[in-house]
Amino acid sequence: MKVIPYLLYLFLITFHSIILSDIISILGVRLNLLILIIVIIGLFKSETEAIWFGLSAGIIVGAAGPALMPWEVLVITIIAVAVKQVSSRINLESLASKVVVLASSVFLYDVIKSLIISTEEFLFVLVRYILPGTAYTVLIGLIFFLIKDGRISRQKIKALF
Amino acid sequence: MVWFSTIFHRNRRLLNFGCVIIIFLLITIFQGSVRPFLGNMALSIFHYPFSELKNGIESLKSVAENNRNLKNTLTEASLQLSFLVEARRENQRLREFLGFEPPENFRVVPVKIVSLGHNQYPIAAVINKGTKDSIRINQPVINRFGLVGKIKEVMPEFSTVQLITDPANAVSARIAESRQFGIVRYNPEEGMIFDNLPADASINKGDLIISSGLGGIYPSGLSIGVVDSVLTVKGEIKKSIWLKSNVDFLEIEELYVLESVPQ
Repeated sequence: MKVIPYLLYLFLITFHSIILSDIISILGVRLNLLILIIVIIGLFKSETEAIWFGLSAGIIVGAAGPALMPWEVLVITIIAVAVKQVSSRINLESLASKVVVLASSVFLYDVIKSLIISTEEFLFVLVRYILPGTAYTVLIGLIFFLIKDGRISRQKIKALF
Repeated sequence: MVWFSTIFHRNRRLLNFGCVIIIFLLITIFQGSVRPFLGNMALSIFHYPFSELKNGIESLKSVAENNRNLKNTLTEASLQLSFLVEARRENQRLREFLGFEPPENFRVVPVKIVSLGHNQYPIAAVINKGTKDSIRINQPVINRFGLVGKIKEVMPEFSTVQLITDPANAVSARIAESRQFGIVRYNPEEGMIFDNLPADASINKGDLIISSGLGGIYPSGLSIGVVDSVLTVKGEIKKSIWLKSNVDFLEIEELYVLESVPQ
């Protein structure tokens, strides 16, 4: 298992959470890059990589608020393992199945997190942040999957224009 | 060692889950030791560099904002300073004028120049007072250095001053010392000239030329200029004198209209 790419992913997650998320947020709706990367690793890498990356990401994300660290570790690791388990049972060629896995992971993570830490009314948070945030993350994930599958490429974009 | 490797590979999945569960339990149970240790490590390695970067960016933004505000404040302060400097100059001029005694039977009406009419050199000025302020045609206009001109046109709120630099405006004058009469006129090519003076008139460079009081417009004794140079042509019965005006017509600002006081 190569460690350096995963370290870079962890740096990317922290960079996003500290600096980038405010810049690329749309009307307060944020991209959930953490779960996007967890899902991508869960879908395309081995179970060992998924589980250890999930644990590391949970510790790093939870470091910002040590009281919630066990929750973060638990939820993120479970999502990583769950995605890996699901990925071995679905058709990874299908774009829709990957998108559904991504959407349900982001939605589940945001719901659990808001139930644990949010002080606002759940329905408001659901409508105002969780659903739009899931849509935003799914859109970015969709673009990633399309590029990864070769359905979007520079040649194709050039051919369009 | 072979048996260990075999066990490890056969039960890798179990070992992974076991380790993760142990770490999770350590984090949950040992709140005071494991959690801060892992938290500090994660913060110092992953969070700290980006937090510093973010702080740096925000500090730069704040510096830029402060810089913009300071520039605005500086511009406002410079503007106020220039107004204050201008007010100080005006104050100084007015203080100097306080020592000026208007001719007998006249009082001064302070006016400000609205615009200057130029033809190479200023020949007319529009002032900010008119008939509403009792300004009338042919009233003499002076500043603290001497004679400036006379009122030529009057409107309700404005008036036009014909300066003595207008070639059409000749002033009857005399030499302050020798009391000999002449005419002061302005020629755009030659400058201010005092002529019609007898060839035998006694005159020296630096002599003061004042208004004579003849003609009924300018009262006598108003300073016009000093003798700059004298031209005497042999055979001519008159001599011409070049004057240096006391008033700098390019820099006139506050003027005073002389209004006669009925006795």
